Amino acid sequence: MTMFQTITLNVNGDDHTLGVKPNETLQDLLRVRLGLTGTKKGCAVGVCGSCTILLDGEPVNSCMVLAVAADGRKVVTVEGLALGGRLHPLQASFIHHGAIQCGYCTPGMLLTAKALIDKDPDPSDDDIKKAFGGNLCRCTGYVKIIEAVRGWKEFIPEDKRLPFLADPLRSESPPETRSPGSVVGRSCARKDAPDKATGRAKYTGDIQLPGMLHGKLLHSPVAHALIKSIDTIEAAKLPGVRAVITGRDVSDVLYGVSPARYDEHVLAKDKVRYVGDEIAAVAAVDETTAARAVDLIRVEFSELPAVFTVEDAVKEGAPVIHDKYPNNVNVTVDHEFGDVEEGLREADLVMEARFTGNRTYQAPIEPHASLARWETNGRLTLWSSTQVPHYVQYQLARVLGLSMSDIRVIRPAVGGGFGGKAETSPLDFCAAYLARATGRPVMMKYDRNEMFLHGRGRHKQYIDLKIGVKKDGAITAVEQTAHLDGGAYTSFGIVAAYYSGAMVPTLYKLPRYKYTGRRVYTNLPACGAFRGHGCPQPRFAFESLLSMIAEKLGIDDFDIRLRNAMTPDTVTANQLSVNSCEFKATLEKAREASGWRRKKGHLPPGRGIGVGCGGFVSGAGYPIYRSDFPHSNAVIRVLEDGKAATLFIAAAEIGQGSDTALCQIAADELGVAYEDILMADCDSDISPLDLGSYSSRVTLMAGNAVKMAASRVKERLLAAAGGKLGIAPERLSARGRRIFAKDDPGRSMPWDEAARDAFSQAGPVVGTGFYKPPKLGGSHKGATVGTSPAYSFGTIVAEVEVDLETGKVKVLECTDYHDSGRIINPSGCHGQVHGAVVMSIGETLIESVEFDRKGAPANASLHEYLIPTSMEAPAIRSEFVESFEPCGPFGAKEVGEGCTLPVIGALANAIHDATGVRFTEMPITPESILAGLKAKAAKVPGAAQPH
Amino acid sequence: MRIEELEYHAPSSLDEACRLLGSLGPKAKVLAGGTDLLVDIKQGALDAGHLVSLAKVPGLKGIEREDGGLRIGPMATPNQLAGSDLVRETFPALAEAAGQMAGTQIRNLATLGGNLCSAVPSADLPPCLLTVEAELILAAPGERRTLPLKEFFLGPRRTALAHGEILAAIRVPALPPATGTAYEKFQLRNASALAVVGAAARLTLKGGTIEKAIVAIGACAPTPLVIESAAALLKGKEPSAPEFARAGELAASDVRPISDIRGSEGYRRDLAAVLTVRALRRCLARIRP
Repeated sequence: MTMFQTITLNVNGDDHTLGVKPNETLQDLLRVRLGLTGTKKGCAVGVCGSCTILLDGEPVNSCMVLAVAADGRKVVTVEGLALGGRLHPLQASFIHHGAIQCGYCTPGMLLTAKALIDKDPDPSDDDIKKAFGGNLCRCTGYVKIIEAVRGWKEFIPEDKRLPFLADPLRSESPPETRSPGSVVGRSCARKDAPDKATGRAKYTGDIQLPGMLHGKLLHSPVAHALIKSIDTIEAAKLPGVRAVITGRDVSDVLYGVSPARYDEHVLAKDKVRYVGDEIAAVAAVDETTAARAVDLIRVEFSELPAVFTVEDAVKEGAPVIHDKYPNNVNVTVDHEFGDVEEGLREADLVMEARFTGNRTYQAPIEPHASLARWETNGRLTLWSSTQVPHYVQYQLARVLGLSMSDIRVIRPAVGGGFGGKAETSPLDFCAAYLARATGRPVMMKYDRNEMFLHGRGRHKQYIDLKIGVKKDGAITAVEQTAHLDGGAYTSFGIVAAYYSGAMVPTLYKLPRYKYTGRRVYTNLPACGAFRGHGCPQPRFAFESLLSMIAEKLGIDDFDIRLRNAMTPDTVTANQLSVNSCEFKATLEKAREASGWRRKKGHLPPGRGIGVGCGGFVSGAGYPIYRSDFPHSNAVIRVLEDGKAATLFIAAAEIGQGSDTALCQIAADELGVAYEDILMADCDSDISPLDLGSYSSRVTLMAGNAVKMAASRVKERLLAAAGGKLGIAPERLSARGRRIFAKDDPGRSMPWDEAARDAFSQAGPVVGTGFYKPPKLGGSHKGATVGTSPAYSFGTIVAEVEVDLETGKVKVLECTDYHDSGRIINPSGCHGQVHGAVVMSIGETLIESVEFDRKGAPANASLHEYLIPTSMEAPAIRSEFVESFEPCGPFGAKEVGEGCTLPVIGALANAIHDATGVRFTEMPITPESILAGLKAKAAKVPGAAQPH
Repeated sequence: MRIEELEYHAPSSLDEACRLLGSLGPKAKVLAGGTDLLVDIKQGALDAGHLVSLAKVPGLKGIEREDGGLRIGPMATPNQLAGSDLVRETFPALAEAAGQMAGTQIRNLATLGGNLCSAVPSADLPPCLLTVEAELILAAPGERRTLPLKEFFLGPRRTALAHGEILAAIRVPALPPATGTAYEKFQLRNASALAVVGAAARLTLKGGTIEKAIVAIGACAPTPLVIESAAALLKGKEPSAPEFARAGELAASDVRPISDIRGSEGYRRDLAAVLTVRALRRCLARIRP
C-alpha cells in the first residue's frame, strides 16, 4: 500500500508541510489540497501550458511534476503574483490590453511571462512568441497577449507602487468629462478580467463541494455493436465506488438538439454507434477510483459492420446505423430559387470543382465539466461549462421528467466553447443521475481524449460547386451540392446541413441558386456546431472558385467580388433580408490597406497574396425548439443608494466578452459610467431566460434586451427627476451620472439622487427588457435556417510564404476589414478577429482529426491534434467599417463567427498565388502542397486541378 | 488518465540508484524529468510500480569542458543546453535542437538523459549527438562502462541499457578545428511539436576538402540513423551544392520511414533530403562564415 510521504513546500511565500502520496501531481496538490485553482488543467500531459507555475523561479507544467519531487522547493502560482493586494504590472497590462478572453490560459501565460521578464525586462517580440510556444490559447490569436507583455513596463507606476487589485476598472477618466454616448464605442476593460488575471475566477471544474464525488464514463471500444450484456458487479464492489449506472438506469426519453431528430439516449440502451458511445457511468470518492471502476465494467458486444465514410454509408446494403434512416441519410435539403439551368445557360463561363473539408475540433483549453447536486427540496442544481444554460435546463427537464423550474443551472466562468459546449452533454445528465443515486454532489469532467469523442466537431463536407458568370464577372447562377459526414448522431446536424447552403447567397447577389444537401450518418463521433456553423467550408469553396473564375476571365479578384457584392436593404435569392451592409467598403479598404495592387502578381516565387470574404448571422431568427418566448431577457436593478446598478441576464459569457459589451450598453442607455454596472452571476434562479451563446447572437439580441431594461429604469428616474426639477420627463436626458434638461443642460441633478428619489417614492428601481426577433424568412421548407435580424460582412487579405522544398506555409500578414455594425467595444472586437484568424489558420493548414480502420480517433490529444501556437500567429491588421444596423442595439451586429469565414479562402488563394497550384482539399498540409508542386513540375494532367 | 499507486525512491548516490533499480524488478523506472514517463503512465502505456528519482543524485547536472570536448550530465535540461555558452560555441547543433524542443516549460523539466533513454525515434537530441560521435557512460553498482552512442539505440523505446543500469554522463569528444554542426527540424507547427524529420549534420574540413562528414536523421527509422553512404560520399570532396544535394539523395534513399499521422513515408524521404542539404549548408557556413 502506498505510503504518505511528508514534504515541505513554499507556495506563494507560505510554508506548507503536507503528507502526499507518490502518485499525486503537484497540479492536483495545488488545485485540490490547497484550493489554488488558478493553476488550470487543460490536458494533464504537459502540452497546453494552462497549469504553468514557477518552480524555483522557472516556468514548468505542474501536471508533469510529482508532488513528492517538489519537496523543499519554492512554488509561485498565479495567486502569488498579486501580493499585498496589489496587482503585478503584467496582470494590469493583460487586463488593460484586452489580452484576456476566456481566461483559462491566462494564469499560465502570466507565469511564463513573469519568468521571461525576470530574465529580460525588454524581451523582443520574437522572444515573447518563443516563450509562449508551450502555452496554448484558443481565443486571442496571441496578438494582445504579446502586446501586453511588450507593454508591461508602462504599468509600473512612477512611485514604484503597483496598482491595487481593485484599481483596474476604476482607472477610467471621470464620467462627467466624457462625450455623449461615450461608453458604447470605448475599449472598456473586461468585467471579468481582474478575476481571471488573479486566478480568482472559478470554472466549473474548479469548484469543490463538501462530500463531492467524482464521476467517469465508460465508452464503447467498438464502432458499431449490439450490447448483449453489461456486468457492473466488480466495479460496484471496488472500495470507494458509490454508484454505477447503465442504460437501464436512465430515461427512455431521447434527446438531442433539434426536436425533429432527437436520437440519443443518456447511456446506450441496446446499441453503440461509434468508438466512444457512452455505456455506463460511475461515481466514486475520487477520480482515480472512478476510472479504475470504469475499467472493471465488463460489456459483451455483438459487433456489427461499421461505415466510416459518407461514400460507404450511402451504398446499397450498407449497415444501418439508426433504424429510422435505412439509407443512413439523416437530413435532406433540396432548395432551388429561380431556374438555375437557365441561369447557367445564360452564363458566358461556367466553372465547377469539388472541394473537401476537414473534421476539426473546437479544442477550448477548458475541458467540459458538470457538477450536480440535488437539494433537499427536490430540486437539481447543475453547474455546467456550457454556452447554452437554458437549453441544458430544457433538455434536463425533458429527460429527467421534471419541470424547468425544478432545475437550477449555474454557468460559472467558461473557458471557451466555439460551439463545442452548445449542447447538453452526457456529463450534464450523468452527473445529475449519479448525484441523485448517491445523495451527494457529483463532479464530472472530460479528459482531452473525451473532448474529441464527445466534443461535436465540425462536419467534414464534400462540396460540388458550380458557378456561372457573364464575361464581366456578374454571377448568373450557382449550384452547390454538399454531403456532410455527420457521425453517429444528429446533434446540430439539421442546422449544419441547412446552413451549408443557406448562407451562400448572403454575401454575393445570386440571381438563381440551387442547393442540395445530404447529411449522412457514419460510425464516427457525431459532429455539431463549430464557429461559423456549417459555413466555413462552403465559403472556402466559393471564394476559391470565384478566384479561379476571375483568373480565367482576367479580372482582378477584388473586382469580381465588388461586381457581385451584397448591398444594403436587399432580399437574397433565398429570401433572407439584409439591412445594413458595408461589404463593398470592406473590400475597397482591404485592397488599399494590404497593398494588393502593388503585390498581386509581383511577389517573388514562394510568396503569395490572396483575398477571401465572408460574414455571418447576428443571431438565429428562430430558437432551437419551438417556443414563443423572447430569445433574450434582462433585468436591471438600481442599488438603493443610486451609485450602481446590477444587470441580471443569463446570456452566456464564454470568453468572447459579451458581459462587458452588455454592461457598456446598460451604462450608455442608463446614462451612468461603465464602472457603475455590476454583473450578476449567470444563474437560472436569478436571471431570466436567454438562449445562450451560439449563432453569434448575444450582442444583438441580449444587447437589445438590456437596452430596453435600461431604458425602462431610466423612465423611472426621469419621472422622479422631472418632479424635483419641475421639468416634463420627456424633456430630460441622462448622461455622465447626471440627469439634465435636453434644451437647458444647466438645469440638472445627480443621477444617484434621482435614483434614491425614485426608490423612496415607489420602491425597488427595476427595469425589465426582452428581445424577440421579427418574423423572418420565406415559407419554403427549412426557411428558418439562415434568418437573422442582421448580417455581418468582411474581407481579409492574407500574405503567405511557402517553402517550395518542404511545402510549409508561413502566414506573414493578414489584413481584415469587417462590418459588424456599430462597434460596442473595439478592443474586444479586435480580439475576436485575432482569435478567428489564428484559429482558421490552424483549420486551413494543420488541423484534422483522423481515424484508424476501426473508427477510433488517431490523434485525439493536444500532442497529436495540433492547434496554432504563438509561433503560428501572423501580424494581423484588424479594422472595422462601421455601419448602423437598425435592428441592433446602438447599431451593432455580430463579430465572433463572421470573422472566421473569410480566412480559409484567403489562405487558399494566397497559397495558389505563391505556388501556382490550386488546392481544393483541407487541410492544405505541407505534404499536399509538395505533392501539388511536384505534380505541377511533372505536368501531370489533372493533378490538383479542379475537375 | 491516471497515475496508479506507486512507490517513490530518491537515492542520494548513483550506485544506490542502480542497486534500487536492479532490485525492484521490471516495474521500476528511472524518473529524470518525467516529461515522457509521466505522460506514458497517465495514458496507460506504461505500468510503473516504482520510480527511482535521480533528483538527489549529485553530479548529474553539469555541463563541463573535458579533454577539449564536453561532459554533460544526463539531468541537464534542454533550456540549460540551449542557454549554455559552452554548448553554443562548441556544439551549436545541440543548443539549437534543445532550444526547439517542446515548449519553455517542458524544456525546464525534460533532460538530455531522458531524451536519449526514452529512445523515441523522433527525439531531437540523439541525431545531433550521433554526428559528433558522442559516448555514453553507463553506471551499474560499482561499475562504469563506456558505450558509443551509435550502439545505444536498439529500436523504438529500446536501448542497450542493461537492467539496473543508469546513464551517468554523455561525453562529446573534442571537435577538430574547422568543424561545423547544425540541426534542421521539420515540424508541423513551430513549437510544442514532434519532428516529422530531424536532420543533424557535422562537417570537418581540412585544407579545403571534407575530412569528415556525418549526417544523422531522426524520425525516419526505428532508431536515429547515421547515413553512412553520405559520409563515404562526402569524405575527401570539396564542399559544394551538388555534393550536398547528392548526400541529401543518399539520405532519402537510406532512411526507412513509416507513414503515420505526421507524414507519409515518401514525404519523409523528401524531407530527409531537403533537411540534410540545409544542415550541411549551415555546417559549412559555420566553418566559413
